[in-house]
Amino acid sequence: MVPEKSLSPTDDEPQPADAGRSRVRSAIAVVIVLVLAATAAFAIGRLSAPVSGAPSTLSVEAGFARDMQVHHDQAVELAFIVRDLTDADDVRTLAYDIARTQAQQSGQMYGWLNEWNLPQAEAEPSMTWMTRPPLSGTSAHDHDPNSSAHTPGAPMPGLATAEQITELKSLNGVAAEKDFLTLMIAHHKGGVEMAEALLERSTDRVETAFAKNIVKAQTSEITLMEGMLADRG
Amino acid sequence: MPVPPEQTTKQQREARRAEKVAALKQKQARDKRMRTFGFIGGGVVVLAVIGLVVAVIAVNSVPKVDPDSIAIEGLKTYSDLPANHVDTAVDYQALYDTTPPAGGNHAPVWLNCGIYTEAVPNENAVHDLEHGAVWVTYDPAKVTGGDLTTLQDKMKSTYMVLSPFEGLPTPVVASAWGNQVQLDGVDDPRLGEFVTKFWKAASAPEPGAPCTGGVDGPGKIA
Repeated sequence: MVPEKSLSPTDDEPQPADAGRSRVRSAIAVVIVLVLAATAAFAIGRLSAPVSGAPSTLSVEAGFARDMQVHHDQAVELAFIVRDLTDADDVRTLAYDIARTQAQQSGQMYGWLNEWNLPQAEAEPSMTWMTRPPLSGTSAHDHDPNSSAHTPGAPMPGLATAEQITELKSLNGVAAEKDFLTLMIAHHKGGVEMAEALLERSTDRVETAFAKNIVKAQTSEITLMEGMLADRG
Repeated sequence: MPVPPEQTTKQQREARRAEKVAALKQKQARDKRMRTFGFIGGGVVVLAVIGLVVAVIAVNSVPKVDPDSIAIEGLKTYSDLPANHVDTAVDYQALYDTTPPAGGNHAPVWLNCGIYTEAVPNENAVHDLEHGAVWVTYDPAKVTGGDLTTLQDKMKSTYMVLSPFEGLPTPVVASAWGNQVQLDGVDDPRLGEFVTKFWKAASAPEPGAPCTGGVDGPGKIA
């Protein structure tokens, strides 16, 4: 074949530089199309999801909102029981405070689940969310890792047993106050443990703020109750 | 390609040119085919990516467990049930055509939720339904031994009542306020669906109102 020097577009062999440029252009076009397609797809997927960004039924947020309702509801129950068993102003005031606070907080958790279009009933045994690994990079709580090792379906930390509640109901006066304070200190410690477990596993704005308040308020109430228990010998 | 010797130089040049033109046309056709394939292939890839991403995001974002969307086969619904406190006995079959009861007027004090081995007073148990509890009743002649244990193990720690009930239409019936399903037995999967849909649900008039601090019925074991 005789090479012919020509600028004519009818050259049989395109110049290598031209070929390279057109390949680069094609590649760029493909990448742009793919990026646009992926973006569109992401938007469509997000918009067609039932509630965009809401926690799922197996999330730690939903698990916490369900289990902590049960936990809080028992605190309300214990507080009302002791108010009927004693005339001591300090215990009655504390019990009133606990009942009003935890009933209101229980209602908040109930409302979140409704807002997320999730059932109030667990989709798996209670406390399963606490057996899930913490988020990496969250501030490490330096408590014994075994202390928050839970078995799905096991009793929640600090929850009083039916027998303990029956026993409390059988007491009155100082004996009832001391029994209540002992049960409620354990109950609050369990509540703090559950709130910390949520904080290690969630970034939900509302729920983490809620859990931080529980850690703070119940920790200070534990100190208060330990003092009241010590006063009673 | 060998050139016939009788051709002139001009003819030879024209022949070479014709040959080049033919080759070029072939190449253009080939390129065009390749471009067509490229467009089709690229289009398929793009569509596949879109489909995949949409599917992954839509499926993973929120599992479809919206309680409102759970359809239960054979669910009976009773609307506009009254919820007055009465001190007298209530005939739930005559007034609301329900056995066992699924809501209606009830006693001022509620039954403490839990597992009962004896029949509980209807008027107190209906008050629990108003508070969002699910009441599971079983025919004591048909549900015994291992079946009864299985049923007891399915109960939640709160906002559930389990009690025997004489004269049920099926071995097990689950009731919430204004809703009821007749179950074939203790392993009927509709029990779980019913609990997911109605336990503490907003379809009850006062979900979250207490099911402790009321009265115990006879035979409460948990």
